[in-house]
Amino acid sequence: MSEPQSALLLRKQLAELNKNPVEGFSAGLIDDNDIYRWEVLIIGPPDTLYEGGFFKCHLYFPKEYPLRPPKMKFVTEIWHPNIEKNGDVCISILHEPGDDKFGYEKASERWLPVHTVETILISVISMLADPNDESPANVDAAKEWRESYTEFKRKVARCVRKSQEQEEC
Amino acid sequence: MGNCFKRSTTDDISLLRGSDSVREPSSDPVGPPSYQEALSVQSSPPIYHPSPSLTQSATQLSEEEQIRIAKRIGLIQHLPTGKYDGSKKIRECVICMGDFMVGDALRYLPCMHTYHMTCIDGWLMRRLTCPSCIEPVDAALLTSYETN
Ligand SMILES: [Zn+2]
Ligand SMILES: [Zn+2]
Repeated sequence: MSEPQSALLLRKQLAELNKNPVEGFSAGLIDDNDIYRWEVLIIGPPDTLYEGGFFKCHLYFPKEYPLRPPKMKFVTEIWHPNIEKNGDVCISILHEPGDDKFGYEKASERWLPVHTVETILISVISMLADPNDESPANVDAAKEWRESYTEFKRKVARCVRKSQEQEEC
Repeated sequence: MGNCFKRSTTDDISLLRGSDSVREPSSDPVGPPSYQEALSVQSSPPIYHPSPSLTQSATQLSEEEQIRIAKRIGLIQHLPTGKYDGSKKIRECVICMGDFMVGDALRYLPCMHTYHMTCIDGWLMRRLTCPSCIEPVDAALLTSYETN
């Protein structure tokens, strides 16, 4: 049986990322036999509160990729306005496509079938550095980020420390 | 980026798109749902696969959905097509990241970006924008088509 296009495309990306790793994250599969489920380790971006942390994430691709976006989840605990407490990432480029009749999201910030693991991760890493508090996924984190930044920093620092301990074992 | 409001989707094919759940590793011997069938089979009612386990014929959709899908298919079919002739100017389809092979069926968008017909048609069923330049695929064409 020939492989679906989505599997071929993901395999191509995996090979490319193995050959030419991108700064800021490393990518592989959760299970070598399943090209649709990826495990990515994000290195906390320098000059941000997340610096020094190692955040493990999972990406779940649908068979209709690249027509539909993957879902992304942080497995390592993280405190961020745009990441749900259960780890689900809420970022507009991962929203399902559909014709936007309301115009509240710029077209360029929506899912497009040219997005790859690399471009998704670049967006997520920039979200870590620059949270968007307009429509937060973690309301408590967003409130702290706005109103009690010291407490926000403390919680993030705890996640960073925990992530370092996890990587050591 | 990052806004995660909960909203009811206005996706034209929300009915066809099936569940949002991610595929289980063992499921689905049928292959990915394909809107190609809708585009290529014109004589009999098109069959949709809202999810791998569920096949839904067009007659099970609401009338409004059927009309929207038919209009969308009609619009897509108005866009020019051709076969790749080995031209050096275009080489790769950015959706599948594959090189064009001589004889491949192509579709040309008004912005002059070119894709495999099979790759772009499925996307245009979801959103009428060019994946490369985000140019809307001729709203004027859509309007004139809808008023016909
Ligand atoms: Zn293609
Ligand atoms: Zn274009």
